[in-house]
Amino acid sequence: MNPALRAWSLYARATKRWPAIAALVPFIPVVALWWIVAETQVFPRAFFPSPADVVRSFGDLVYKGILPEYLEDSVVRLAVGAAAGMAVGIPLGLLVGVSRRAQAALWPPLLFFQAIGDIAWLPILLIWFGFGLTTMTFVIVYTVLFPVVLNTVLGVRSVPIELHRAALSLGASRQRILWEVVLPGALPNVITGLRNGLGYGWRALIAAEMIVGTSGVGFLMFDARRAGSVVEIVLGMIVLGLLWYVVDAWVLAPIERATGQRWGLVTR
Amino acid sequence: MKTLAIRNLSKTYFDAYAGAHVNAVRDVSLEVPEGEFVSIVGPSGCGKTTILNMVAGFIPPSGGEILVDGRAVVGPGPDRGVVFQSFALFPWKTVLENVAFGPKMRGIAKPEREKIAREFLALAGLSHAAERYPNELSGGMQQRVGVARALANEPDVLLMDEPFASVDAQTRMTLQEELTRIWQERRPTVLFITHDVGEAVFLANRVVVLSKGKVLQELEVPIPRPRRWDALVENDEFKRLSGQVLNLVRSA
Repeated sequence: MNPALRAWSLYARATKRWPAIAALVPFIPVVALWWIVAETQVFPRAFFPSPADVVRSFGDLVYKGILPEYLEDSVVRLAVGAAAGMAVGIPLGLLVGVSRRAQAALWPPLLFFQAIGDIAWLPILLIWFGFGLTTMTFVIVYTVLFPVVLNTVLGVRSVPIELHRAALSLGASRQRILWEVVLPGALPNVITGLRNGLGYGWRALIAAEMIVGTSGVGFLMFDARRAGSVVEIVLGMIVLGLLWYVVDAWVLAPIERATGQRWGLVTR
Repeated sequence: MKTLAIRNLSKTYFDAYAGAHVNAVRDVSLEVPEGEFVSIVGPSGCGKTTILNMVAGFIPPSGGEILVDGRAVVGPGPDRGVVFQSFALFPWKTVLENVAFGPKMRGIAKPEREKIAREFLALAGLSHAAERYPNELSGGMQQRVGVARALANEPDVLLMDEPFASVDAQTRMTLQEELTRIWQERRPTVLFITHDVGEAVFLANRVVVLSKGKVLQELEVPIPRPRRWDALVENDEFKRLSGQVLNLVRSA
C-alpha cells in the first residue's frame, strides 16, 4: 500500500477511536504558521511570543496556582449565572409561549431589554453595586436570560398543534400537556437558547472581569496588559477558546444527542 | 364502545382572503351505531376533515350537535380516540410510552399501564418495537403505533382522519387489512375519513359520500368479513360498490 494511503487509513482509524484528534488537527496549520512567524522575528518577541513562550507561561501560571484559581473563578461565575438565568428564563419562556395574556404583557419589554446589551448595563451597575461579584453576576444572568427566554418561546410555538390535540384526546389536562408535550417539544430550542446564552454570557463575563474584576480569566488578561505581558494575554485568549470547546463537547453536545437528535427533531 | 350521533351539524368559516363566509359543513346528520365502521369519503375540500375535527372537539361547530353515548361533545376528550394523518406521535416518548400515554393520563400505575400498552402493541404487531423512538420507525409502523395508542385508551368512538394517506401503496393495503382484523377482534365504533374510494368501501359497513359540505348518499357495504385485498379485487359486489361510490364522488 502506498504510504500516503496508509497514513490516511491510520488517521481515519485514530479519529474514529479518539474523536478529539479530529478536533485538534485543524489547528496544526494555525499553530505552525504562528510558530513560523514568531521564529522569523518579523515582530519583536515581546509583542509576538511564540507558541513555546505561551506554553512556558502556561506552566508558570499553573505552577504558581494563578491560572487554576482564576479559571475556577470564571467558570463558577458562569455556571452560577447560567443556572440562575435558566431557572428564570425557562419558566418565563414557557409562560410567554403558552399564554396570550403573558405574551401581550411581557413580549414588548423583553424585546426592549434584550436590546440593552450586557455591557451597556455596566455603567449604572457600577454605581449601584460597585466593583464586585453582584455586578458581574447581574451581567451574566442578564446575558444568559434573553436567549433562553426567546428560544423557549420559539420552542413552545414550534410544537405541532396535532400533538396538543393528540394529548387532549388521550385525556391530558392542560397542566399535564405543559409537562408531557410543551416542555419536551420546546427542549431542542431551549438548548439552542442555552448554547447562545452561555456563549454570550461567557463573553460578557470576560468583559465584566476586565472592567470590574479582581480575579478571573478576563482579569488575568487585563492585568497582563498593565504589566505589558503579551504572552499572558495570548494565553488567556487560548484558554477562552479551549474552555468553550470543552463546554460544548462535554456539556451541550451530549445533551443534544440525548434529546433532540435522538427524537429526530433535530438533524445531526 | 358507544354510539356516535351527529345531528344537523354545520360549520361556517369566515375566509379573510375572500372576504366572505364559507359553509364548510352544511346540515350533516349521520349516526354510527355501536360497534359499526362508517367511512366518510369525498374530494378534498368537501368538509370531511372539518366534520372529524368537530366530532373530536378540536373546533366548535357553528350549529347542530354531536352526541357520544348520548352526551354532547363540548371539547376534546378521551371518550373519542383520534388517529391522525400525520401520526402525531410524541417524538420524545418510546413506542411503549406513546401507547401507555392515555392510561397514564387516567392515573393508571406504571406496571399496569405498560401491561395494557404491550397488549395493544401485540394487537398491532409491534411488540418488537416497544423500546424504540417513533423517528426510528417507518411510516407504516408509526401509524400502527397511532392506532394502538388510540385503542389502548379504550375510547367510546375511534376517529380516523385519513390515517393511511401518507404511507406507500403496499403498506397502505397491509394496514387496511390489519385494521379490519383489529376491528373484528375489538369491534370499536369507528368514524373513518378518507378520499380513497377503495379504502372507504374496503373498510366500512357503511359509506357516506360527502360533497360540498353535504351528505350526498349513504351506502351499505354488505361484503362479508374477513376482507382481504387479494380476494376483494375480484369480488363483484366490491367492484359494483366502488364504481358506484366513485361515480358519486366524481359527480360531486
